[in-house]
Amino acid sequence: MTPNSQSGLVSRRDLLVRSGYGLGAIGLHVLGVAESPAAPAFPNFAPKAKRVIFLFQSGGPSHLDLFDHKPLLQDRFGEDIPESVFQGQRVTGMVAHQARFQAMPTKYAFQRHGQSGISLSELLPHTAGIADDICLIRSVHTEAINHDPAITFFQTGSQLPGRPSMGAWVDYGLGSSNRDLPAFVVLHSVASEGPGGQGLLARLWGAGFLPSRHQGVQFRSSGDPVLYLNDPPGMTRHQRRLMLDGAARLNKLQYRRVGDPEIETRIEQYEMAYRMQASVPELMDVSAEAEGTYELYGPDSRKPGTFAANCLLARRLAERDVRFVQLYHRGWDHHGELPKRLPVSARDTDQPSAALVQDLKQRGLLDDTLVVWAGEFGRTPYAQGDPKPDDYGRDHHGKCFSIWMAGAGVKPGHVHGSTDEYGFNVAEGAVSIYDVQATILHLLGIDHEQLVYRFQGRRFRLTDTEGQAIRHVLA
Amino acid sequence: MISGRLVSSGMHRTIQRRVVWLLGLAMAMPGLCIAASVEFGSDVQPLLSDRCFACHGPDAAQRQAGLRLDLREHAVVPGMSGRVPIDPGDPAASELIQRVASTDPARRMPPSYSGHAPLEAEEVEILRLWIEGGAEYSTHWAFVPPERPALPAVSQPGWLRQPLDSFVLARLDEESLSPSPEAAPRAWLRRMVLDLTGLPPSIAQVRAFERAVEHEGEIAYAKAADRALSSPRYGERMTMDWLDVARYADTHGFNNDSERSMWRWRDWVIEAFNRNLPYDRFLTEQLAGDLLPSPTIDQLIATGFNRNHVINSEGGIIEEEYRVEYVADRVRTLGMAWLGLTVECARCHDHKFDPISQADYYRLFAFFDNVPELGEAGRVANAVPMIPAPTAGQRARIANLHSRIEGLERADEVSAARFEPSADALAALAAPEYPHNADFFVGCEDGPDAGIAGRSCGAREIDPQTEIKLEKHGAFTLSMWFRADVEHSDAPLFSAIDYSADPASSEYGRGVGLRSTGSEVELRLSKRFPSYSITVRSSGASLRPNQWHHVAAVYEGSEGKRSMRAEAAWVRLYVDGREVGTKVLHDDAQSAANFVAPYRLGRDNSPAKREFSGAFDEVAVWRRALTEDEVIAVFEAAALPWAVARASSEPERRWLHSKLNPASELTDARQQLFALERALPTTMVMQDMDSARQTHVLMRGRYDSPGEPVPPAVPETLLGHWPQAAPKNRLGLAMWLTSGRHPTTARVVVNRFWQQVFGLGLVKTSGDFGLQGETPSHPELLDWLAVDFAASGWDVKRLMRNIVLSATYRQDSAAEQSLRDRDPENRLLARGPRFRMPAESIRDQALELAGLLSGQLGGPSVRPYQPEGLYDGVVVGADYPGTKWEQDEGESLYRRSLYTFWKRTLPHPTMTVFDAPDREFCTVQRSITNTPLQALTLMNDPTFVEASRKLAERVLQESGADRSERLAHLFELVMGRSPTDDEQRVLGETLQAILESLSAEDADPSGFLAVGASASTAGFDDRELAAYAMVASMVLSADEAITKS
Repeated sequence: MTPNSQSGLVSRRDLLVRSGYGLGAIGLHVLGVAESPAAPAFPNFAPKAKRVIFLFQSGGPSHLDLFDHKPLLQDRFGEDIPESVFQGQRVTGMVAHQARFQAMPTKYAFQRHGQSGISLSELLPHTAGIADDICLIRSVHTEAINHDPAITFFQTGSQLPGRPSMGAWVDYGLGSSNRDLPAFVVLHSVASEGPGGQGLLARLWGAGFLPSRHQGVQFRSSGDPVLYLNDPPGMTRHQRRLMLDGAARLNKLQYRRVGDPEIETRIEQYEMAYRMQASVPELMDVSAEAEGTYELYGPDSRKPGTFAANCLLARRLAERDVRFVQLYHRGWDHHGELPKRLPVSARDTDQPSAALVQDLKQRGLLDDTLVVWAGEFGRTPYAQGDPKPDDYGRDHHGKCFSIWMAGAGVKPGHVHGSTDEYGFNVAEGAVSIYDVQATILHLLGIDHEQLVYRFQGRRFRLTDTEGQAIRHVLA
Repeated sequence: MISGRLVSSGMHRTIQRRVVWLLGLAMAMPGLCIAASVEFGSDVQPLLSDRCFACHGPDAAQRQAGLRLDLREHAVVPGMSGRVPIDPGDPAASELIQRVASTDPARRMPPSYSGHAPLEAEEVEILRLWIEGGAEYSTHWAFVPPERPALPAVSQPGWLRQPLDSFVLARLDEESLSPSPEAAPRAWLRRMVLDLTGLPPSIAQVRAFERAVEHEGEIAYAKAADRALSSPRYGERMTMDWLDVARYADTHGFNNDSERSMWRWRDWVIEAFNRNLPYDRFLTEQLAGDLLPSPTIDQLIATGFNRNHVINSEGGIIEEEYRVEYVADRVRTLGMAWLGLTVECARCHDHKFDPISQADYYRLFAFFDNVPELGEAGRVANAVPMIPAPTAGQRARIANLHSRIEGLERADEVSAARFEPSADALAALAAPEYPHNADFFVGCEDGPDAGIAGRSCGAREIDPQTEIKLEKHGAFTLSMWFRADVEHSDAPLFSAIDYSADPASSEYGRGVGLRSTGSEVELRLSKRFPSYSITVRSSGASLRPNQWHHVAAVYEGSEGKRSMRAEAAWVRLYVDGREVGTKVLHDDAQSAANFVAPYRLGRDNSPAKREFSGAFDEVAVWRRALTEDEVIAVFEAAALPWAVARASSEPERRWLHSKLNPASELTDARQQLFALERALPTTMVMQDMDSARQTHVLMRGRYDSPGEPVPPAVPETLLGHWPQAAPKNRLGLAMWLTSGRHPTTARVVVNRFWQQVFGLGLVKTSGDFGLQGETPSHPELLDWLAVDFAASGWDVKRLMRNIVLSATYRQDSAAEQSLRDRDPENRLLARGPRFRMPAESIRDQALELAGLLSGQLGGPSVRPYQPEGLYDGVVVGADYPGTKWEQDEGESLYRRSLYTFWKRTLPHPTMTVFDAPDREFCTVQRSITNTPLQALTLMNDPTFVEASRKLAERVLQESGADRSERLAHLFELVMGRSPTDDEQRVLGETLQAILESLSAEDADPSGFLAVGASASTAGFDDRELAAYAMVASMVLSADEAITKS
């Protein structure tokens, strides 16, 4: 006799499903694509970071004019980049017609800053002020040479659409630590140059094949801060409460009749929605911020929708323990008129980025908050078009570029990696995009090889089959 | 005593206990009959595939230690180590068991770094038992063509209503479970109508159905199903799911994500479902409609299925890199949609689990590699290849005009044949003055005096100082006389277009050019040729060599137009003073081109170095669009004296006839036809080039690493033989898929329809029937459905009818906790389906209940309400079509959701919040989540707020003054059933409380009532209406309202 003789039925295949990748809580709330397991227990080890603020600089900031000084380009101004350096690098169609690829120096002065002596361009006076807090990585490289694949690669681990974004992976692995706010929040900023820039795609904060509830939630600077957050005009909170109570009662009656646990979940989600109607406006309301805070972040921080205002919101989100805050700033795509346009992008972002780090630090949040500042690639050491000292442009460059990190678990005042004399190739300490991703996960206490999701018969990872946490940047 | 099949995951807790116990027993008492019941296909193979094949499977490149476990002949012989991986009958001697059971992490397989979990004791036990029983392999179930299984014997034959029920009940019998009681007739009706039309039944329908059941009994069910199947709403519902599979969207994707036009393909799908096009035809026409003998326009439109993929227009991308992606996307879609295999996994290396080699992949790839397409394209409009795709109405008008034109031409012909020009009439003809007001003019004074206007010149460069700067709107007219010495297949007439740049660069082919192509002319207005150009060829110009012709190309420019791009429709071509038809070759230019110096006659600087042989005269450019009269004047200034002087010779006599007897009706009809043709929607289609592109295996999947050449072919040993006489192209591929002997096609298709109704397929991994896919919950049922479907002539309506009329489907969806615990996902089908409706249905239902839904079938996509500023800071900062959401008005606000404009990078939030995919690639399954954002949408999206108000108005109009009657009516409208007493109480108390809150002095519901574009019906008290609207909103957001139950 079996313990349950009325069935007398058992399946070992079922057992396999359970023991290998059986459905956990997720399976109960998600019908359909839930092919995969409940995530194994994360974190895998003690995390350094409880949360991440990712300041994405869309368009490809010029490492040569901001972070990576190459005096040789001055000496070789106008000369062709030697073939030994070029090494058959793929060039984009925008310069494919150029007969020459002429060395183009920066017109900006570089200086060493802080105890650490990190050399930065004069365009980043405020970042210079936090030189001893950041870890500058000058040796990142990417395969992609165009915006869409490059940013998609950075944010999802694949140049092609379809994979979950980094924030969705983190939400999937670690879940939320705030019951009134989403775990993955996205903020877009409008550059002072205007609304132009590369198109950003919902896939960059999408859930890919993960259940769609892991997708990032956009907080907006105009209209409803979260889509459909505000009740219709003329409806009072009391009325909303009455409606929700009535709906909950109807739902409970229905639950009693059919027993579907989805109904209970729905009741909870409506309550969460109600709480968000209070918690999100409270979050977005910066009117009680001290005068000194606005001064820290700069005058733009009073203008909703600017990068500065969003950096301030990012700090408020960090205070509320939101797991992954993704900011986007556009306008770094300086194919031409770089000396006119780059200072604008730098001005938009330099002070707020530095302010965020300082602000987190003075509130004791930098110890467990990771701040990442990065674009999808760098820019070419050769000029796009004519090389003129005061009016030049640079094309996309993936062979090397610079990013920085600060905060939880990252070496402060440190430079990792270097590039050759032209700023064309990585010279030492090469860091791939997968490595950056693995490092971010590592700081969150996640072994990037363990954060997997089974879809279409395959175990997918953010880092595909590669990546390694960059040991040298870990504090 | 142990079933070898999958049981749903939710039964784990109890079952695991039992298995552990059983296995314990088995281990304690060897010889117990468990060994006999281990099945390779369902127990062993999934385990080997999942944990071992990545390194010891089909992928030769990744194979470790030369060990291969997917083939028995490799696994049972000693490996490189000298040890035998699998020793049939002797688990202890089998290296496999030693390694997977090892406690030494250095020896244990799979290794920890592989990311694969080590085997549980129970899993090792399964392998042990299997080896002990002889380690027999069998072919994976999905690769064996389905046979029609006999209907199994069941415990309660009286329960069965459809053959398919036998399989479900037999399985329940095995599990000692009973089916749930039948759902109430109205519950079935709502479920069925939602499933087949995506909309709820009306109260009248519900009541009529209940009466019919009472009077007619069972037949009422069949009649109701037939009614739903014959509704045009059925095609719309079925199309919803196919749009995900086919990755349909109204934009191109990638970061520019501008607008495209594929709605004619979408409408083809709706129509195909509505007329119940047999599924094999449905598949064939989409895969290979263009290769059918004399394909119809509809069959060409259908091939848009393989052009629905994303297309990248980011400046500077490497064309081949993306062209290869498009081909790969077609292969992936073929794999997921019809093969049920993750073939794309074999793109960079041999498939790790399924026996598909990388060469197999590229042989499939070769079927789709032959399209005359561009890598960088789709900047502002459709990318080639594309065709004009008239709607049925437009086709009728075109046919009418054609027959009218033919009739008029015949009449004109008769009159022309008799025509003798009288000297008087000729004398009265006065040639107009040539309008010497052109912005550019070459009269060719250096040429021999042989031309029509007295002087002419041959091919040459024009003074590089000459420059024509067009206005911003880009309008111009280019006019010239020319005489060709021979017929040129393609030669430049006038070139102000620069081809000196590398063709791979974005600078190539910028400017304006006119060419002679056979008996036609071709105008190019180009930012980059050919991708971002307007290229228009004349149609019916009948140009002949050794004869002087006048050609005028007029481009109207953008002035006064609302379009966000330059359009080919703004081009007019005139030959010898008469407008001719046009054929658009490319139409993807954001703005008009300018003339790029130096200008050339009869030559250009393109790499092909073609030269025109002949003579030119009176080459002129105006920086504006000349009117038709002006063009005629330019022509007649030279042509009229010439013709009068040769009045008795041809073709001059004929021309004089038309001049003296203007057939204005004919001209008018022709111009109507041209105007209609210019305005036709276009759609992207498949085409094969005449000379096939040689496909290569691409090493590591990279576009720039070609390996061995491969021909188009299918993995025959795996998936069945290529039909005799089938051509080696996409048509042959379709024949192979639909031969009826293909192991997966019919299974995959019926499984997806099953999934549409039951939430999960019989194979849960509906896009993967391979080794890593899930074993079917009801294998015989799947096979029976597949064989029956193909045998029925791939009759989709019949399949859907059989499903909704089945006893399985008719079960109540309520279930005891014990059954839910045992089978949370309802894999055993011991109850009816219950899950949240898809995004489209949730919105459509609200509009329908509110009386707002438009019934218009098909047409261009529409832009209903969408939060303002949604695109700010997100969409590309260029004014491409599709980057702005200009909200529609009137009926377009209330169309069914499948017509909502689908922007891939940022689809409508009401769709995505309810789990619609972005459609960047093929999706065969949506997740069904439950989130606070969904709650917010139902609460506050203006669509739902407005629908609540209109629903409240409807309730107040349709029922009497009694409050509880009104509330009951509201409830019944939404849920398709009357409220219980408890529910009635909730409605009443909520209404009362809201009314009280609204009676406060400062309560002002006017803003709430003003949400939405629809007017409020007059005559209601604002506060009362608002209170009912709030209750309506509450009911519309209740779980039951948005759930198919």
